[in-house]
Amino acid sequence: MSTGFEPKIIGFLCRWCSYPGADLAGTSRIKYSPNMIPIRVMCSGRVDPSFVIKALNDGADGVLIAGCHPPTDCHYQSGNIKAMRRYPLLMRMLEQFGIEKERVRLEWISASEGPKFAQVVEEMSDTIRQLGPLGWRKDAVE
Amino acid sequence: MRGDMVLAWSPDEEILEQAECGGAVTSLLKFALESKRVDAVLAIKARDGNRYDGVPALIANPEEVINTAGALHCVSPNIARCLKEYLDGAFDVKIAVTCRPCDARAIIELAKRNQIEMENLILVGLNCTGTLHPVTAKQMLREEFGVDPDDVIREDIEDGKLTIGLKDGTEIEKDLAELEEKGYGRRENCRRCEVGIPRMADIACGKWGANGRKATFIEVCSQKGADFIEEAIQVGAINVEHPDSEAVETREAKDREAIDSARKWQEQDFVDLRGMSIEERFTYWTGQFSQCIKCFGCRDACPICYCLDCYLEADRGLVTEGQVPPDITFPIIRIMHVADSCVNCGQCQDACPAEIPLARLVHMLNRELGAVFKYEPGMDVSAPPPLGTVTEEELDMAGVGISLS
Repeated sequence: MSTGFEPKIIGFLCRWCSYPGADLAGTSRIKYSPNMIPIRVMCSGRVDPSFVIKALNDGADGVLIAGCHPPTDCHYQSGNIKAMRRYPLLMRMLEQFGIEKERVRLEWISASEGPKFAQVVEEMSDTIRQLGPLGWRKDAVE
Repeated sequence: MRGDMVLAWSPDEEILEQAECGGAVTSLLKFALESKRVDAVLAIKARDGNRYDGVPALIANPEEVINTAGALHCVSPNIARCLKEYLDGAFDVKIAVTCRPCDARAIIELAKRNQIEMENLILVGLNCTGTLHPVTAKQMLREEFGVDPDDVIREDIEDGKLTIGLKDGTEIEKDLAELEEKGYGRRENCRRCEVGIPRMADIACGKWGANGRKATFIEVCSQKGADFIEEAIQVGAINVEHPDSEAVETREAKDREAIDSARKWQEQDFVDLRGMSIEERFTYWTGQFSQCIKCFGCRDACPICYCLDCYLEADRGLVTEGQVPPDITFPIIRIMHVADSCVNCGQCQDACPAEIPLARLVHMLNRELGAVFKYEPGMDVSAPPPLGTVTEEELDMAGVGISLS
């Protein structure tokens, strides 16, 4: 049932692996739902849980955090592992506040995984389309 | 030696009279000052003799230590914060600190973050089964006990009963669980606390195991504690004898009972929150936090919050300036930053003027995360906080999968 709602997903992509992975999806002309807005960070470990909260608060319906594959691919050795450690904390927090788990996802996407990137975004867009808008704040930025 | 136990009491008649147990803590603090092991002692004093106004007191004169004798159950000062903020983290002064388990744990968490210099501290741990809010206590005394709060000269929590002693010598005892069902009794986080014996301090002192005698049961918990007690015994600052196995067993049994009771309270406090559906939770918490006035009391009181450049300040760009009530981002961010290391001191909930159940939420999250990270906050100063560290195993593993179960 289509209500015409298109989710807005913020993607925090790491500069060394995930962002080039996203670029590869583009240069390969892979078609996927255009619902994600990329934000390049130097490392997935840069993503503080408060960024995710702020994104959701400011109008995003979902957040993707993508980084290099643990344990060996992180350009800064273990930034991705720290991102991984923050994830259970973040998810439990969101769960407590009544935000569906499916809205926030942590993925490992390397620079050569263009198709994987497209698939992840496609899946997330689909899932969140079903869940509906988050509607956290009434005056959220459009 | 670590793990050694003694029954101790003060040789000083005056101290013995004012003391809660054997006066050993007071005598040990005095000894610490007289032997110049420390420059000062940080303990709790009833300001102007008011039992409901307990304040941290920094004492450098051994003769004044007796003013802190006797346990004050109706106050809950934030010792760790006091050390960090007003005593510069003890980086340039040696202090002996009397601390409940939550105080000791908070101090250790701050020490991990280089905010307190533990080398300069002697942590005199005090067994604790909970304290009461002064205002709740006074109301309870008037309405449930039918006494004038100013007539109370001592309180005791033992075997599920709260007993008060009055000036005229009478004692009144009431069932603690009954009082707490009515909303009186101990602070909420105290009821949930499983850590009654401060083994993370240098020594742990209390009345369990004294078996009715006027003595303090002391467990040595570190090498520093062992040296301290040994020297104190040598110069006659305290008199000791070895506890018999019955005393040791009684103490263990009481600890187990306290832990059982704490776990029951944890379940009770958390069951409603855990039982809510997704929509109910959202409505509940947005409702609670809509009462937040952004006073920053929770952040200022929390021992874990130590950042000089706090994320919650407007200039960091995450929280909108001048907006009250703030977006739900405000409490969520604060809670997420401390949840892995929460020691359940309850200072945040005490500080909140809107009476938002902050400690309940963070403690619940911390319990769940403890299983994920296998981390107990505030127990071991050499165990780094989970969110800032990475283990060898994680660096070696392949095909990482995250399970949230």
